[in-house]
Amino acid sequence: MVTLDELRKINARCIHCRACQYAYSGEPDKEGETEEYTGMLQGCPAGIYYGWEGYFNSGKQWMARAFLNDELPASRELLEVAEACTTCGMCETQCPNYIDTVHVTEALRAAVIESGVEPLDKHKGFGTRVRDPEMKNPYAEPFTERTKWYSGDVDNKDVKVAYFVGCTGAYRQQHVADHTASILKKLGFDFTVMSEEVCCGSPLLRTGQRDVFREVMERNLEVFKDFDLLVYSCAGCYKTFRNDYPTMSGKPLPFKVKHTVDLVYELLQEGKLKINKDYAEKVTWHDPCHSIRHVGLAIKKEILENSKNWLLDERAAKKAEAEYYEMPREVLRAIPGIELREMYRIKGDSFCCGAGGGVKAQFSDMAMATAKERMKEAASTGADVIMTSCPFCITNFSDAVKALKQQEEETGKDLSDVGSKMKVVELLEVLDQLIE
Amino acid sequence: MSNYNKVTDEVVKKLVAICGDEYVTTSEPLRHSYMAKGIMGLEAVVPEVVIRPANAEEVSRVLVVANENLTPVTPAAGGLSGGFALPAIEPGGILMDMTRMEGLEVDTENRVMIVEPGLKSGDAWRIFKTKYPEWAPPIPDGAPPAATVLGDAIERGFSLVTGVYGPQADMIMGMEIVLPTGEIFHTGSWALPGAKPFYRWGVGPNPDGLFLGSQGSMGIITKCAIKMVPHPHHKTVVAYGGETWDDIIKPAWEISRYEMGISERTVMVQGGNYELVMTRWPKTNVPLDYEFYKKIGIEKKWMNYECWAHTKEELDYTLKKIDDVYKDYEAKEKRHTPQQDLHPKQVASRLKKPNKIAIPYSLWQAGFLFITWYCPWLESSKMMEEYCAKMEEYGFPPTMWVASIDHARQAIVMPILCYDSTEPGILDKIREFNLETTRSFLKQGWLNYRPDPFVHAPETFSKAKEYYKMLVKFRKVLDPNLILHPGRLAIPWETVTDLPSPFEE
Repeated sequence: MVTLDELRKINARCIHCRACQYAYSGEPDKEGETEEYTGMLQGCPAGIYYGWEGYFNSGKQWMARAFLNDELPASRELLEVAEACTTCGMCETQCPNYIDTVHVTEALRAAVIESGVEPLDKHKGFGTRVRDPEMKNPYAEPFTERTKWYSGDVDNKDVKVAYFVGCTGAYRQQHVADHTASILKKLGFDFTVMSEEVCCGSPLLRTGQRDVFREVMERNLEVFKDFDLLVYSCAGCYKTFRNDYPTMSGKPLPFKVKHTVDLVYELLQEGKLKINKDYAEKVTWHDPCHSIRHVGLAIKKEILENSKNWLLDERAAKKAEAEYYEMPREVLRAIPGIELREMYRIKGDSFCCGAGGGVKAQFSDMAMATAKERMKEAASTGADVIMTSCPFCITNFSDAVKALKQQEEETGKDLSDVGSKMKVVELLEVLDQLIE
Repeated sequence: MSNYNKVTDEVVKKLVAICGDEYVTTSEPLRHSYMAKGIMGLEAVVPEVVIRPANAEEVSRVLVVANENLTPVTPAAGGLSGGFALPAIEPGGILMDMTRMEGLEVDTENRVMIVEPGLKSGDAWRIFKTKYPEWAPPIPDGAPPAATVLGDAIERGFSLVTGVYGPQADMIMGMEIVLPTGEIFHTGSWALPGAKPFYRWGVGPNPDGLFLGSQGSMGIITKCAIKMVPHPHHKTVVAYGGETWDDIIKPAWEISRYEMGISERTVMVQGGNYELVMTRWPKTNVPLDYEFYKKIGIEKKWMNYECWAHTKEELDYTLKKIDDVYKDYEAKEKRHTPQQDLHPKQVASRLKKPNKIAIPYSLWQAGFLFITWYCPWLESSKMMEEYCAKMEEYGFPPTMWVASIDHARQAIVMPILCYDSTEPGILDKIREFNLETTRSFLKQGWLNYRPDPFVHAPETFSKAKEYYKMLVKFRKVLDPNLILHPGRLAIPWETVTDLPSPFEE
């Protein structure tokens, strides 16, 4: 487990330099296409939205320290500030002292709740519903209908690959689950989905509800323990299994895990897959924080954790991280006809969609403002499509486009320069259309 | 002790009436979120209320309220590196977060920029990069992007051209100041309505020095006109090593005294020891033996010279002359001071502004403190010898950084105290170390540049009694209720020390 107390020394590294507030904090001369998107740029969604120091990671680290030192009591007020963060990890990319900023924020949330403060209303609902044996998902859908979307092989224990669908795929974006299953079939994977699968626990871990998280983590580890490989379409489930289950359980995973985009990438690299169909669109790629930045950061930190000489090994660690960030881009480059137009803040410095960390449910205004800010950046590339591979990014961007369209109707203004005409597209959907 | 009053609900209502509900908070977590202990200071008290004023008029009205209630006020924006101004004594009073005031005006004709307190280095650099690429804003070097131009200037900090132009405060051409009693006035030629900030000494006599380095205790600077500098694009860094501090200090002095010559193009002269590299990494995950650093080409001590020139010829000439000075030094003093072989990436990294070079020292354990001193350049070797020995005696690695100010007229000597901030009693140990070195250095005529209110300020003013008395007179004229950042300059004396007051004979 990673408790706030266990993170005391990590947190104590913060000297409040506030480099974490900036994307590209180490690249002052980074060239951009426009004046607005050049050099270092503010990159913390909560800090930008609320303005007060406590909403930036830099302030949160000092709130956490005060809490650890018994100078700041647990309170609903503290929890509200701590929860207003998408846990996107932009700050973690920037920190020269390698502070695990997201771990500290999540551990602070958990510690406050464990001190007796009730989880925030919407978050509490996640926990209640996931714990309910009739649901086991945050959407209040019947557990018995978890695999209803799927007409294929369920609970086949004779295969070695399982598709971990996740609650959003199972109940809200079944088309993404369908496309993923279709891709897996086309790629020749003999796989199954499991009716006993439960919520991965991501919304619970992010919002500090660790008791419920532990229950679902243990349940999933039991249900999937005999498989060799678990495949994901949900960025959040993938990150939770890959990064959080080993940390929170204290044990390595008993199976390998891969996001479907990683699988496609590997097959492309190995020459076992070629995409021949065209996708003639101008596309900008949004890196999902969960499946791209958090995994990239984990790759870097895993190398350093095993290093006896950081001075020599840091470069290799950063290189491995950077290579991971190229992965979705390699997939996009393998698509004929696609015109990739990168946004300014990308990869480890990507600007969050605004939905993560429990923010979409509890702080919907901040989630919307953040999504609009990102849509504006996407529109500045001249692309017609914003593509990503995460159910929450897709939902939040789609909501932002809807809001912009509504604004256009109400004001009569053309908001296409801030993204009102952009299409929001899930990469897996496109890959399913293109892979033969 | 102090006679300050706590912030009441009534005061908060008045602050809300001035700044707006959205920009005033008494939230306990948010007040704690401003804390900082480390890098630039260990003393900090939680403010009772935090406000984010929009302009000088709001600042002025807040100060009137603070005077009426005898509430202490601490203005802060981004500071000059990590951390920023925080209340030093109880009660914490009002913390004025100036980050909303982030205006920038650039006058390329008169070569000044006008900045508000919240303008951050990262933003200034971006704006110059895109709009004024032939000019550079004098941002603090080695500080992260959130450090502010004004924070660095008013602290007399270190900028990217300090080796030539002197401390950042020397570049100021005029200021807009809100006095503690609420009056707003301008210094320099700006004092004349309609005049540009083209002449620092203005209608004279100029009071700038009272506000620069007073750590926000004499008035709140809400605007400042500061020189911007040319940004020629032929730039590089060369470095020379040595065994002793003299090996890096003496040749640097020879180079820097070439005023109107090569030293005008040597904008930054800074150096240190191999521990400066070693302690940027976790103590448990980096070699501790010098042999490793020797193998990777790091000398025991070294000095970097960052050169900017308008042409390649000028740059090459400067580098050649620097090299000649080193060769002469080696021959004359029979020393070995080899030029270091810098990888292009190392050069690029050192030329990067703003940068995060000064930040990673928390990795060594969990916390660090910069203690900064000024002394005549050629005396810096002695100071560093003494400092390093004392650091080792106290169990700290002897991490040391030194830089030239104004053509090596002065040295800024900065030990970096790397420590574990979670270790019980560590702050007392640092205070003891600080006291012992301070007493010794003051005897030798050296000065701390950003005094700790509980150590450096009282120790210094206990010796410079007449100066302190003068300072208190000015302070009482400007701030009769002593509401601004009390304690920072050991005013009121008894709030920070038990030492006999300089007023006692």
